[in-house]
Amino acid sequence: MSQAVLQVQGLGKCYRLYDSPRSRLLTLLGWSNRSLPHWALQDVSFALQAGQCLGVIGDNGAGKSTLLKLLAGTLRPSHGQLHRVGRVTAILELGAGFHPDFTGRENLMFGGSFIGLPQGEILRLSDEIIAFSELGEAIDRPVKTYSSGMAVRLAFALVTAVQPELLIIDEALSVGDQHFQKKCVQRIETFRQQGCTILFCSHSLYHVRQLCDRVLWLDHGRVRGLGDTESVLAGYGTHVRLQDLTQASHDPAIQPTQSAIPDNPNIQAWVADGRRAGLLDVHVSGLASDTGSDSDLMLTGSDLVIQVRAVSVSDETPSVGVMLEQFHGVGVTSVATHADGAHLTVLACQDGWTSWQVTLSFPDFPLHSGQYSLSFYLFDAKGLVVYDEWKDFIQFRWVSPSLTPGLVRLPHLWS
Amino acid sequence: MQHCWEDWRALWHARALLWVMTRRELSSRYAGSAAGVMWAYLQPMLLVGAYFLVFDVVFSMRMGDNAPTTRLGTYLVVGSLPWLVFCESLSRGASSLVEAGSLLQKNALPPVLFVARSVLAGWVVFVPLMVLLTLGYLPLSGFGWALLAVPLLLLLQGVLALLLAYLLAILAAAVRDTLQVLGFFLSVGIYLSPVLFPMSLFPPAWRWLLFANPMTALVLSYQSVLLQGAWPELSLWAVTLGWLLLLAWLLDGLVKRSRDELVDWL
Repeated sequence: MSQAVLQVQGLGKCYRLYDSPRSRLLTLLGWSNRSLPHWALQDVSFALQAGQCLGVIGDNGAGKSTLLKLLAGTLRPSHGQLHRVGRVTAILELGAGFHPDFTGRENLMFGGSFIGLPQGEILRLSDEIIAFSELGEAIDRPVKTYSSGMAVRLAFALVTAVQPELLIIDEALSVGDQHFQKKCVQRIETFRQQGCTILFCSHSLYHVRQLCDRVLWLDHGRVRGLGDTESVLAGYGTHVRLQDLTQASHDPAIQPTQSAIPDNPNIQAWVADGRRAGLLDVHVSGLASDTGSDSDLMLTGSDLVIQVRAVSVSDETPSVGVMLEQFHGVGVTSVATHADGAHLTVLACQDGWTSWQVTLSFPDFPLHSGQYSLSFYLFDAKGLVVYDEWKDFIQFRWVSPSLTPGLVRLPHLWS
Repeated sequence: MQHCWEDWRALWHARALLWVMTRRELSSRYAGSAAGVMWAYLQPMLLVGAYFLVFDVVFSMRMGDNAPTTRLGTYLVVGSLPWLVFCESLSRGASSLVEAGSLLQKNALPPVLFVARSVLAGWVVFVPLMVLLTLGYLPLSGFGWALLAVPLLLLLQGVLALLLAYLLAILAAAVRDTLQVLGFFLSVGIYLSPVLFPMSLFPPAWRWLLFANPMTALVLSYQSVLLQGAWPELSLWAVTLGWLLLLAWLLDGLVKRSRDELVDWL
């Protein structure tokens, strides 16, 4: 029933960089070709069905604006196919086409013909446009007397006067005062409810989460992720924090301690060290990886089940602590056997050492989507002495079935 | 010629917008002035009036033998009006793309639209003035078949200006120096044409050089029709058509090589 409003196949845009205007001229005249290709966008393919809302996210320079300009038709693709159906309206930069010496009303007439509205149509719509822009009397004053907010309001009212089949928005929601911003969001929301297809590019992950059903994540001009909002946003969130981490590691003050993640401990070495206990291994069930590497584990089930094994000198009963944090972020919770009155089970006794095991479950994992990190601690029976510490030992991604924003699903009641 | 043809189709497709843009271009040039668009017509008319007054009334200057007419002012006006419009079309047209840069980057419009707008704005002023001039010169030209050449010449000049302005606008997008070079050629070009002096004053061995100015053949044609009432010689038509074909061929190559990145240069 639904038809593709926008179909993009292998889209690519290559900017040619010239070292001087002279070499640009020579290339133009066909005498030489001294240019370096720079691929701003490569091999992007997707399709949008009528009524869908696609968010485009990515770092600065990832090719978001280039993609939007290609879709809006202001740039020509170097590669690939682009198929659009119906009226396309792009809110790229509002008010760019206004002439300062003409009045708002005159600019309305002219701006309307730029976006393909015949004069008669604009005359018919002008009262509604002026009402929405809240310019009142000012509509008959030259645009040069307007504040930047007024010009933007008029431009937004104009470009959204007619509902398009495809609406392309580039960060336009961050204009005007809050009152007008709300009106803009409401109008876009109304379009969406009436079946308008929207392509929305923003750094505000909150807005993306609110508006979009699907998200396209661009990284260095290529598609890094395309899918439902939460799973792509979770991946992007991780990417952003990883970047922060890489940046932080250049700063010697906050270098992560390398000793935090030891190899499987050698008990003989512990004896020499005079240590009394240590963590042996940790197993989290239900972790899977797309690529087979340990760096992008994902929790597949709905429960988080962790099995911890440890060894201690025989006359000591250790206690295990587990800390769950947002990746490189906020601590979510920490639990410990001694605090909860739980006990470790003995696996084996050998040569004066005892090995222990305990299993920790978080049923129906109550967190929202994101990247999380687990740290493990081994204490003495009272939790006073830290025998061993495996900081950030396991990182994993979790995609929550719930789409509402937040950090944790607290037990709650509606009445 | 495939690329030129595509642009032509884009222009035709957007003709309603082109007309709106042309009118707005004219009114924006004189926005804020009391007489408004009237200045576009007044300025050339005042110039024509000044030529008549100075050369024909005050000084009564006479031209030499072999000239197409006897009075200098009368002669000057016929060539300088088309030349004036040609210069204006080229200088505005050549800078039109660079000036429309931000608009082109934000709106999905064919770039050629902006060049065509600048040229058309000059032409819209030029055509009524030429009609007036033709009427004013009826005593000289007589009422004959030759007058039918005027609309043809106007059309040819429009197409010539459009092709050349588009060519220069693309070059200016690539290297801004184009505009400076153009300014020089436009101010020197008038001496390389029969606008100020009749062809007979130039040494015969160097006359061919005048045809390096694409307007020479058109100016000679206007003079032939308006001053002598004679249908322009076939060779003049041939030269103009030759220029058009050459420019179209050059333009096609430029458009082909610049199409994908033209907007990036602005």
